[in-house]
Amino acid sequence: MVRLPYTTALTTLFSYGLLFAFGQLRDFFRKFVDWFKAKNVKGYAPICLGLEDFYVRRLYLRIQDCFGRPIASAPDSWFDVVERISNDNNKTLQRTSHTTRCLNLGSYNYLGFAAADEYCTPRAIESLKKYSASTCSVRVDGGTTKLHAELEELVARFVGKPAAILFGMGYVTNSAIIPCLIGKGGLIISDSLNHNSIVNGARGSGATVRVFQHNSPAHLEEVLREQIAGGQPRTHRPWKKIIVIVEGIYSMEGELCKLPEIIAVCKKYKAYTYLDEAHSIGAVGQSGRGVCELLGVDPADVDIMMGTFTKSFGSCGGYIAASKDIIQHLKHTCPAHLYATSMSPPAVQQVISAIKVILGEDGSNRGAQKLAHIRENSNFFRSELKKMGFEVLGDNDSPVMPIMLYNPAKIPAFSRECLRQKVAVVTVAFPATPLLLARARICISASHTREDLVTALDVISRVGDLVGIKYFPAEPPKIAEVGHNKLE
Amino acid sequence: MYPGVWTTYILILFFSWLLVLSVFGCTPGTAWTVVNLFHFAITYHFFHWKKGTPFADDQGMYNGLTWWEQMDNGKQLTRNRKFLIVVPVVLYLIALHTTDYQQPMLFLNTLAVSVLVVAKLPNMHKVRIFGINAEN
Repeated sequence: MVRLPYTTALTTLFSYGLLFAFGQLRDFFRKFVDWFKAKNVKGYAPICLGLEDFYVRRLYLRIQDCFGRPIASAPDSWFDVVERISNDNNKTLQRTSHTTRCLNLGSYNYLGFAAADEYCTPRAIESLKKYSASTCSVRVDGGTTKLHAELEELVARFVGKPAAILFGMGYVTNSAIIPCLIGKGGLIISDSLNHNSIVNGARGSGATVRVFQHNSPAHLEEVLREQIAGGQPRTHRPWKKIIVIVEGIYSMEGELCKLPEIIAVCKKYKAYTYLDEAHSIGAVGQSGRGVCELLGVDPADVDIMMGTFTKSFGSCGGYIAASKDIIQHLKHTCPAHLYATSMSPPAVQQVISAIKVILGEDGSNRGAQKLAHIRENSNFFRSELKKMGFEVLGDNDSPVMPIMLYNPAKIPAFSRECLRQKVAVVTVAFPATPLLLARARICISASHTREDLVTALDVISRVGDLVGIKYFPAEPPKIAEVGHNKLE
Repeated sequence: MYPGVWTTYILILFFSWLLVLSVFGCTPGTAWTVVNLFHFAITYHFFHWKKGTPFADDQGMYNGLTWWEQMDNGKQLTRNRKFLIVVPVVLYLIALHTTDYQQPMLFLNTLAVSVLVVAKLPNMHKVRIFGINAEN
C-alpha cells in the first residue's frame, strides 16, 4: 500500500516516463554510434546485457554527484565535504582538492561519539598503542583480547540479557547469524520494510520466508495463523521453528516498531522473536537502552536482540544478545565468529568507553545529557519541519526523519541546492525505497546545537520553497498572546 | 500497486493525439490513426519484444520473459492485464469511427489491434512463434 496524493502520483509517474523515454532514445542512438567499435571477444558471454543496467546508466548516473560524496574529516556535526567535478556530464567524477565545511545532517551520529570525545578518544588511542590496529586473527584462534571479553559482558549488561557475542560488521551480524538459527523446515516471518541484511540472511538460511504488512500486529497474527495451520509447503508437517524478525526503528521511515503488541502475538503462538536495534540502541529510551526501554517491554520477552555499534557508539561492528545457550551455540556454529577476523581493538575500546559514558560509569552525567539533547533536538526539528508544511515521516522521539520528495527531479535539486548552502543531506531513491516514494533522510545528533538546527531549518525551508516540497499547508504564525487578552 | 498509472497512460494517449493534431495539422481521424500506429509500435516493442528487467539486482532471472509475461508475476487475466487489452481495442474503435471506416486507415488499424490483442492473450504466455525473439 503506497500512500501519496493523487496529482503527485500522476506527475511522478510522468517524470519517470519521460526519463525512461529519453534513456531509451539515447540507448537507441548509442547503438549506431558504437556499431563500428564492435569488440572482438568471440565466444565469451557478455558480462551484462545492455538492458540490465539501464536504470544505473540512464537514471542513476545522471545524478550520481548526489550520492557517495567523499568527506575529508570526522563526521561530527560540521564536516568537510570534498568537491567533485565532472567533465563528461556526470558519467565520471573527479575529486578536487577543495573541501567545503558543511552542516552534517546525514551521518548516523546519534550521541555525538563520531568525533573526538574527551573520555573515549584518549582510551581508544591507548588501546591502539597497546593492542595495535588489528588482532590479525580469528576470534577462535588468537583474536579474542581482554577487550573483547569485557565488551561482550558490558553489552549483555547494558541490553539486559545474560550473554552477548560480537562481530566485526553490522551487515554481517544479520546475514551470517540468521542461517545459524534456522534452516530448511523453519519459517521466518519478517516485516515488509526490513533491512537488506535481514532479507539476505533470511534468503541464505534456506527457511521459508513470509512477509507481514509493515508494523501491523493484526496482519502478523493472520500470517501466523495461516502458516501454523498449513504447515510446511507440500508436506504440511508442522514447522520446525518460527522466528519473527522486526526492527526497533525503521531507517527509511523513522517509525518505531509496535513492539508490545507484536511480542504479545508471538507469545500467543509460541514464535521466537528477533529484534534488530541497529538505529535504536543508545539513541532512544530513558537511559539509552533502546526500544524495549522506551516502550516498556521486558528484554527477557525478546528472544534475540541484535544491534550495531556504528550508529550511537561511533565505532563499527555488531552484536547479538540472547540467553547463554543461544550465544554458546552461535560461538560454535557462526562462520562470522569462526572464520572472520575479530573486531579491531581500538574500535572495541571505543564502544566500551561510549557505553560507560552512556551509563554514567565514567563519573560524569554526560551520557544523560547526550540522551536528553538528542530527544530534545529530534522533537524540536520534527515539529518545526511539520509546522513549515513538509511531509515528515516517523514518530516522536525518533532521531531519523525522512522528508518526502516523491518526484525524481526533486532529488538532485534538493541535494545540490542544500550543498550549495552548506548543508549536507542524504537523499534516497529507488531501489532503497519504493519507486514513487523518494525522500531526503535527516539524522539528528546530540552534538547539533540549537543554532545548528535553526540554520538547517532556515536552509531547508528556503530550498523547500524553491523545489516545491511543502505538500501540506504551513501553520500560520501565532498571534501575540498580549493582543488576544487586550480584546477581552 | 501505484496509484494513477492507468490515468497517466490514458492522459499520455490523449495529449499525444493533441500533439499530432497541432504538429501535422491533419484531420482528427488521421491523427487518431497515427496515435494508434505509434502506440502499436511502442507497446509492441516494450511489452512483447524487450526481455529482462532494467535493474541488474535479480541476476538475470527474468531474462527470457518479455515485460508482458513478467507483469503481476505471470498471473493471467489480472485487472492490469484486462485494462491493457481493452486500451488498444478502444483506440481502434475511436480511430475507425473518426476516419469513417475508409480504406488505408482501416487496414492498418485492424492489423495493429489484431497483433496487439493476440500477443496479450493468456494462451500466448511464453509462446515464441517460429522461434522469433527466443534467445536471451
